Amino acid sequence: MDFSMLLSGFATALTPENLLFGFLGCLAGTLVGVLPGLGPTSGIAILLPLTTVLPPIPAIIMLAGIYYGAMYGGSTTAILVNIPGEVGSVATALDGYQLAKQGKAGPALAAAAISSFVAGTLGLVGLTFFAPTLANVALQFGPPEYFALMILALSVVINLTGRSLVKGLVSAVLGFLIAMVGMESVTGYSRFTFGNMDLMSGIDFISVIIGLFAVGEIFSNLENIGAPVYKAKLERLYLTAKEFIYLLPTMIRSTIVGFFLGLLPGCSPGVTSFMAYDIEKRVSKHPETFGKGELRGVAAPEGANNATTSGGFVPLLSFGIPSGPALAVLLGGFMMYGLQPGPTLFEKNADLVWAVIASMYIGNVILLVLNLPLIPMWARLVKVPYSILAPMVLVFSFIGAYSVRFKLFDVGVAIIFGLIGWLFKKIEIPTTPLILCLILGTIFETSLRQSLNMSHGSIAIFFSRPISLVLLAVAFVLLAVSLYTRFKNPEAIQDALAEESE
Amino acid sequence: MKKWVKLAAAIVSVSALLLTGCGGNQKTPGGEAVNFPDKPVNMIIAFTAGGSSDVQARIIDKYWKQEFKDQPLTFDYQVGAGGQVGFTAITKAKTDGYTIGGINVPHINLQALSPQATYKIEDFAFICQVVKDPNLLVVQANSPMNSVADFVAEAKKKDGKMTIGVVGTFTAHHIAALQLMDLLGIELTLVPFTGAADENVALMGGHVDAMIGNLNDVMRDVSKYKFLAIASEERHPWLKDVPTFKEQNVEFVSDIRRGFAAPKDIDPAVLQVLRDGFEKICTNPDYLADMEQIGQPADYLNGEEFAEVVNTYTEQVKPLVEKYGLDKSN
Repeated sequence: MDFSMLLSGFATALTPENLLFGFLGCLAGTLVGVLPGLGPTSGIAILLPLTTVLPPIPAIIMLAGIYYGAMYGGSTTAILVNIPGEVGSVATALDGYQLAKQGKAGPALAAAAISSFVAGTLGLVGLTFFAPTLANVALQFGPPEYFALMILALSVVINLTGRSLVKGLVSAVLGFLIAMVGMESVTGYSRFTFGNMDLMSGIDFISVIIGLFAVGEIFSNLENIGAPVYKAKLERLYLTAKEFIYLLPTMIRSTIVGFFLGLLPGCSPGVTSFMAYDIEKRVSKHPETFGKGELRGVAAPEGANNATTSGGFVPLLSFGIPSGPALAVLLGGFMMYGLQPGPTLFEKNADLVWAVIASMYIGNVILLVLNLPLIPMWARLVKVPYSILAPMVLVFSFIGAYSVRFKLFDVGVAIIFGLIGWLFKKIEIPTTPLILCLILGTIFETSLRQSLNMSHGSIAIFFSRPISLVLLAVAFVLLAVSLYTRFKNPEAIQDALAEESE
Repeated sequence: MKKWVKLAAAIVSVSALLLTGCGGNQKTPGGEAVNFPDKPVNMIIAFTAGGSSDVQARIIDKYWKQEFKDQPLTFDYQVGAGGQVGFTAITKAKTDGYTIGGINVPHINLQALSPQATYKIEDFAFICQVVKDPNLLVVQANSPMNSVADFVAEAKKKDGKMTIGVVGTFTAHHIAALQLMDLLGIELTLVPFTGAADENVALMGGHVDAMIGNLNDVMRDVSKYKFLAIASEERHPWLKDVPTFKEQNVEFVSDIRRGFAAPKDIDPAVLQVLRDGFEKICTNPDYLADMEQIGQPADYLNGEEFAEVVNTYTEQVKPLVEKYGLDKSN
């Protein structure tokens, strides 16, 4: 890596014009992120044509700003009204919403913003120094390694199962079943679609998330009309220095998890944020505080999903391989400007690459500066009477579900899962295992089938390749530890795992 | 400064549009061909935003307004089921010409032959073909194989265990792999991937021995690959050193084509307006330069010619589909 290139990149990115477009991108991205359902993917796709009036450098700076901004913005509604509009914020909502209910919306929003900043910036440092080397690490991951990684990710589920293991597993299995609806990715046959065209394209997980979390929450609150949802008074709005120091190790841990998993195409922020959350719970001296309003439970997923964002740029810039749908759209943007990401991009378009990387550092600062002053404004939202807030949340939830694919069908999905969410709450089935398995389901199945194709049906393939063997061993150990602690000390663990006890 | 204001205004108006659920269509009586278009035309894209089909349509979009009375093109992503969701949406759209969409060959042929067909080839009115993207037989850059003959020898040595990556099942790649096995008299182990990106990673990482790739998909990483043969009639100007299958005595020609279509009952006068406008765009030198820049092999055919190609395809793949038991419609 060449420092003079990075410096000249900063020189380019810091021109007033480029700064302005970076700012506009961050602003548009934040707005897109705050609106439920409108995540980074649709945000970039919608705003992409508008950038075509610009020359390549400011246009791509702006698109990257939209991407980062949307990753930041997604946490706001997750924390305040329990609408994780994007998969990356599902884990954030677990503790963030509890904090908001306790009057700690301010510190929760601040923890999310600062953690995003720290992890996003550290991730960029990783991108700056190691992009070409790290890209080759991602290549070591073939279908068997992905399958082993999915098993590892699934070992997280056991820690999200709540009081009853059985109920948690019911939720997890349901998640897998929902992931199977639609046309199957390998042989193209449709499953559970009953000839319905809407079901054929699968059930969109954003609608499911919005339904289970936001709509379900409103249905439950409607049962006791009049009782205030936000019981406590709105406390201070920012983090104390002590809290920041308490959160710092979390930010670093989640950066590492998010960045390295982000290098792997297909490992989305939805997965890494859950894994970072799980790690925090495992290393914490007080795991019982998770799910009840733990600041680390907000900082970890937010940090991880921003670090994943930075990590994802490594395979994108080095090979032209997008890690997820949002980066695929960004790749489309690159190509529209005649830039072919790939091994030669760093040579052929060095000025552009370094300007974009420099602009991402600047973008992270812009986002922090943009978001911190907004916290009081957002936090006051919880003072809006619930009778006014609830219909607003419902409307935004439905718009969000609709805007992913512009299908009324998805609004129906959100309503149905709203009812399911409400029912789950009544009978104490946790919703997070369902969501995690829904997210992991497709890639789990695809990589399993690809691996078995490669090996002519022999499962030995998973144990004969070093990386997949190690991943499987780690998954096994984690699972064993979780189960051991669970059965050895059922009392304490019941509290620790009482995810949705409120 | 003006550009900035314009951009900011555009962002605001798009957000407003989104909040109102994207406008919605006013009802106007169809058939007034002379006035077509007097409002935005809706373009269905059957694959994800940012994918090859989308990027190609975006290049069309760049020149759209000047050929279509300053009316914009609006993009509608109906993704799923290997394009089948979007393709079906095109056939089921209103016939006023305000909904058209991108289609891919042989995807539509194979889907129409599938037991789960949701449309027939006859349900489309073809506007034009814009891209002909040949398939290539690709191995890692450092592979000892240098020709189709080496590939055949290696496949025979591995006795059916040689893995070859393709995108999806029941797709152009899948059919191409089956055709190759037939023509070369070898057995291969097919490993289907969900998209060109993960297929490319798998080959680069050595997780499959070879792959079938489209020119457009592999252009990005030319230095990482070795191309054993290209499945076109003649060598391609972008890869002049890569011999065709024919040069290596294998009668194999295989490609993916992209084009545009409307529902079959569209007013013929409106269809003509669409066909004429597309022709002007597709023969514009600036457009062609853009296409080369994004690595999409442009190849314009008018509506009738494209329809002919589509029908020939169906005839070609039908026996193969039947032979490998993929056709369960009977």
